[in-house]
Amino acid sequence: MSRAIPLNIKEFATQRHYRPATIERWLALAAADGQALLDLAAEMRLGENQLSDLWTWAEDVARRDGTSLADVLTSAAMTAARKRAISRNDRLTLVKQELRRLRYPHLCATEERLLELLHRLELPRDIRVALPASLEGDHLTFQFVVTDTKQLRRIADELKRVADSPACADIFALLEEAP
Amino acid sequence: MKPWKPSRIYVEHSEIDTPLVRRLQSRLPEIPLQPVDDLRSAEPDRFDDGKQMLVAQRHRGTFLQHCPAGTSGLVCCNYLVMNFGSNCPYDCSYCFLQEYLANNPALKVFTNAGDGLTEVDTVLRARPERTFRIGTGELADSLALDHLTDLSCELVPFFAERSNAILELKTKSNVIDNLLRLDPKDRVVVSWSVNSAVMMREEEPGSASLDERLAAAAEVQAAGYKIGFHFDPLVAHDGWEEAYRDTVTQIFRRLDTRRVAWVSLGSLRLTSQLKALIRQRPQVSRTALTELVVGDDGKERVWRGLRVKMYRRMLQWLRDVDSCLPLYICMEPASVWEKTFGMIPSDRQVAQRLVGAEA
Repeated sequence: MSRAIPLNIKEFATQRHYRPATIERWLALAAADGQALLDLAAEMRLGENQLSDLWTWAEDVARRDGTSLADVLTSAAMTAARKRAISRNDRLTLVKQELRRLRYPHLCATEERLLELLHRLELPRDIRVALPASLEGDHLTFQFVVTDTKQLRRIADELKRVADSPACADIFALLEEAP
Repeated sequence: MKPWKPSRIYVEHSEIDTPLVRRLQSRLPEIPLQPVDDLRSAEPDRFDDGKQMLVAQRHRGTFLQHCPAGTSGLVCCNYLVMNFGSNCPYDCSYCFLQEYLANNPALKVFTNAGDGLTEVDTVLRARPERTFRIGTGELADSLALDHLTDLSCELVPFFAERSNAILELKTKSNVIDNLLRLDPKDRVVVSWSVNSAVMMREEEPGSASLDERLAAAAEVQAAGYKIGFHFDPLVAHDGWEEAYRDTVTQIFRRLDTRRVAWVSLGSLRLTSQLKALIRQRPQVSRTALTELVVGDDGKERVWRGLRVKMYRRMLQWLRDVDSCLPLYICMEPASVWEKTFGMIPSDRQVAQRLVGAEA
């Protein structure tokens, strides 16, 4: 956050080779919104496509909640993510996650609940499990590699244990119908 | 709802002396007809401008097509669509025509509906063993312009005399005066697209209110027509459960469920291009602000678990009203049908169930 902020939007966007149409749209924002976007873009050294994704989500949240782009970008959750003392790439990932959580609160809450239930399965490290992308499906994908029958039997035993667990039933119920 | 009136009318030069154009002239004497040789010159630059005007032209392609919902991988109800015009005077925020007709948005009516009926007649005669469901509300509202065109006066008598077809007139209007003077002989279903109160109020400008739609439905039902309802798009807005349940309650408080041909459910689906167009609309729309994810067909919908929840709730409320209501869901894969209805029907089974509802 201590990084020097460029003096103006045009200077920053031109330096980063943003398209004129994007710059024009940016300059047309209310002053506080434009500045909040500039603060974020400069702080995270965002390219145009990276900024566009975050901008769209933030704008959707602002429209939905009847607030401003600046309010969304400087909300407590976003500020906390932006202030984290981690690498720029990790911070960008965190900022995206926070903004996604604001944009898709129900979907993210369901995903988080599913991850919590997956954790409860206590799968060994050599069995991987994946949820359907964007929860657009009701299946789990299990992945494992075995090199002998002993390993296969152990994996089969683990999978049986998992299949019988209440957490597993909860996962399938949650994938089938949203809470 | 005030019946729609164009601000200007363009007529293809060769069609000036057709019954439709003469009718337009007599119903709207205050609006001078502007003959055009090149129809492209009548196309406006902006989509919303297309909804203020009317172009009367000859249709040169085929009238009858398979419904585009028959996409591979989705359960299909074998519906056919007949286009007697394109675009619609209403301005629904979520409407796919914003994208589909972006390059030719002028509201059009075709002067040669008789050619379309000849085409339908050929198809019906070629397959007497099959019962067809044919609708005119795909690229246009079936009734919104009927006070100007009298199209229903050609369609209803035509289908009333056919034993192997059912016509569906799908609308968001209450333009039913012509229908009340015609005898559908049980071959015509008049259906209304309906939604939650907030969606109809805020996202469907220009269309009839729920009260107006239901008053029209009750009149039409009393006049011998079967009725249909399409809850499409279902939108997962705040308070959707209570809001959609309320719409179901209001509908069936006023209508006889035994004379309902079908009720369909469909989740909001948007291409990325349509979503971008919705975002550009001057009024903030709640449709593009819901939590949509990209599906296998590239369209964005609410995620599957939420769609199933919405369908199951709707199904429960509708079956509480009448367990025999013929129901189907639109543009969903077999797996969603299974989770919703507990079974996967073939396309043929869905179609048969819906035409069976006419007996």
